Amino acid sequence: MNRMSQSLVMVFLGGAVLRITVLSTTYLNYVKPGFHPFLVAAGAVVLALGVIGLIQEWRKPRFTIPEHARENRAPYQHRTADHDRTGHRGYDAQDSPGHFSHGEGDRGGDARLSHSESTDHGSRDDHEGGPWGHLGYASHRSHLGQGDHESGHGGHEGHDHSRGPRVAWLLCLPVFAIFLISPPALGAFAARSEEPPPRPPVTSDTYAPLGDDTVIAMPIGEFIGRAWADSTYSLSGKRVRLTGFVVPSAKKNRWYVTRIQMNCCAADGIPLKVSVLKAAQPPVDTWVEVTGTWVPPKSDKIPNGTVAPELVATDVIEIPQPVEPYE
Amino acid sequence: MSDRTLTDVSAELPPAEWGRRSAAPSAMPWIFAALVVLLIAGHFVLTPLLAFPSLQTWATIFVAISVQALPFLVFGVLLSAAITAFVPASFWTRALPRHPYAAVPVAGAAGAVLPGCECASVPVASGLMSRGVTPAAALAFLLASPAINPVVVVATAVAFPGQPMMAAARFAASLVVAVLVGWLWLRFGRSTWLRIPARTAPGGSKWEAFREAAQHDLLHAGGFLVVGGLTAATLNVSVPRSWLTTVADVPVLSVVVLALLAVLLSICSEADAFVAASLTTFSPTARLAFLVVGPMVDLKLIALQIGTFGRAFAARFVPLTFVLAVLVSLAVGGLLL
Repeated sequence: MNRMSQSLVMVFLGGAVLRITVLSTTYLNYVKPGFHPFLVAAGAVVLALGVIGLIQEWRKPRFTIPEHARENRAPYQHRTADHDRTGHRGYDAQDSPGHFSHGEGDRGGDARLSHSESTDHGSRDDHEGGPWGHLGYASHRSHLGQGDHESGHGGHEGHDHSRGPRVAWLLCLPVFAIFLISPPALGAFAARSEEPPPRPPVTSDTYAPLGDDTVIAMPIGEFIGRAWADSTYSLSGKRVRLTGFVVPSAKKNRWYVTRIQMNCCAADGIPLKVSVLKAAQPPVDTWVEVTGTWVPPKSDKIPNGTVAPELVATDVIEIPQPVEPYE
Repeated sequence: MSDRTLTDVSAELPPAEWGRRSAAPSAMPWIFAALVVLLIAGHFVLTPLLAFPSLQTWATIFVAISVQALPFLVFGVLLSAAITAFVPASFWTRALPRHPYAAVPVAGAAGAVLPGCECASVPVASGLMSRGVTPAAALAFLLASPAINPVVVVATAVAFPGQPMMAAARFAASLVVAVLVGWLWLRFGRSTWLRIPARTAPGGSKWEAFREAAQHDLLHAGGFLVVGGLTAATLNVSVPRSWLTTVADVPVLSVVVLALLAVLLSICSEADAFVAASLTTFSPTARLAFLVVGPMVDLKLIALQIGTFGRAFAARFVPLTFVLAVLVSLAVGGLLL
């Protein structure tokens, strides 16, 4: 991976991150709102590094001077010989590619330093390494010298003779995913399992008593918490309004109004489900506002957390997806 | 883009490319513009075609892991590059005890001050090593910092209301594991297993050295982060969690299973306490193992470590850490929980 591709990848990565944070609220499909400043800062840093790299690449002189390269050749050969002596010293008992590269990496750093010292013609040019790419051992030296301690350690990259870490190409994948798949917020597929929702982590018996408003809007997590962890039955007889998306149920005559609880990013999302009774099921993944009343469990024998709490719906309204899709 | 096939040309023969430059720089704006157009066009053409729920769910989790880790990675990379470029090597020899066995616990405890998750700690540890810090001490720092920093401790306390011992047990167990691994590495580790990343001594401008180190580390660690994100997203979508609950009642097995789950899920250490709290069917000790193993061994971390320190290192370090983390969790869980 040469300098230009490195910089391009960084420009695209930083651009994609800024695209989903500054130009839209798409990032809320993936992380918590509190992440916004950090994401913007990270995207800006990556973009800036990439842009600086592109500018430097752009300003480089167009042609290298072969004579100059020839001048530099002697030190390289010397260095190579030097390496052959030092790099293997003391390692022979345990000859493995890993330790070999260790020696090489160190030498690579040296080579790079002396390389840049000896090229004072103003071209900070990694293509300079190019000519040496055909000189066998010396090529290795100079490639490593371009800051690539990746290559030649006999590991995952095999014979990677490129200058930058080749694995960096993978950074294109999130960019492609963001632009080409445009992943939506987690929905019914992620919440498809029939397992009951886990008990919301932050529950307590100390919920404030509910007011006497006609309809009380509350997060699904709070509803489940009150239904399960509240010994005062504060939900009894109250009309509540829950917002979530529709997940079908394997059981008859019910569906789930669901919201995914997220603590950091979508990978740790936990579906919170409430069974909706006595209402026709809207299409899967539709966002709805369900108004209804809690149905206390018929017996106390079922321990909390084994069955989703139930709600008899009086009213189901389809709504657009909220800006913050997670709880 | 410019990977050239290297052939065994005689060393005396100047290659044909000498004196020529690839046409790449002049084509750069065009390549750039073409890619931007392709991405925007693809956004409108492909997105409706790729609307399978399973693919979208997978992509959401993959992008979420990548996006969420990026700020930490950038922070860690910048810190590491700053250590490399601006902090003189002599600082570390003065800051840490001279005796390596004493340096390990000090470095481990110093992990408490780096507020970040595991993605930040790998580049920082590699930066420390390249500046002459004893590898075992840097490794103790690497293991301890994502688990015992204040942000994570507070998150754990919030996730387990009324169970303050969980946060304390996590702190203690993580620090113990980090120090034990550091000492074992010091005693039995070989320098040949560990590939300490080569760093240039800042020869030219310090800012240039800073930028170079930051760019290289970011691309490198970022690439491996993507590998971990791909794996974790795939397993996250394909392994139903109901498989787990069947073993929740078996004493030791449940601990091992939750430890393995922590490896597979690769959740950021600042969020894993909430997931652990939701695994209510498991014993506190099993959940402690989840919290101790997660920040030290998980898929994205393994990928980062392979990339940063080499395979020979990861093949020994990862199992050692995992086994010790499970054992210490069992012990600490038995004592405190």
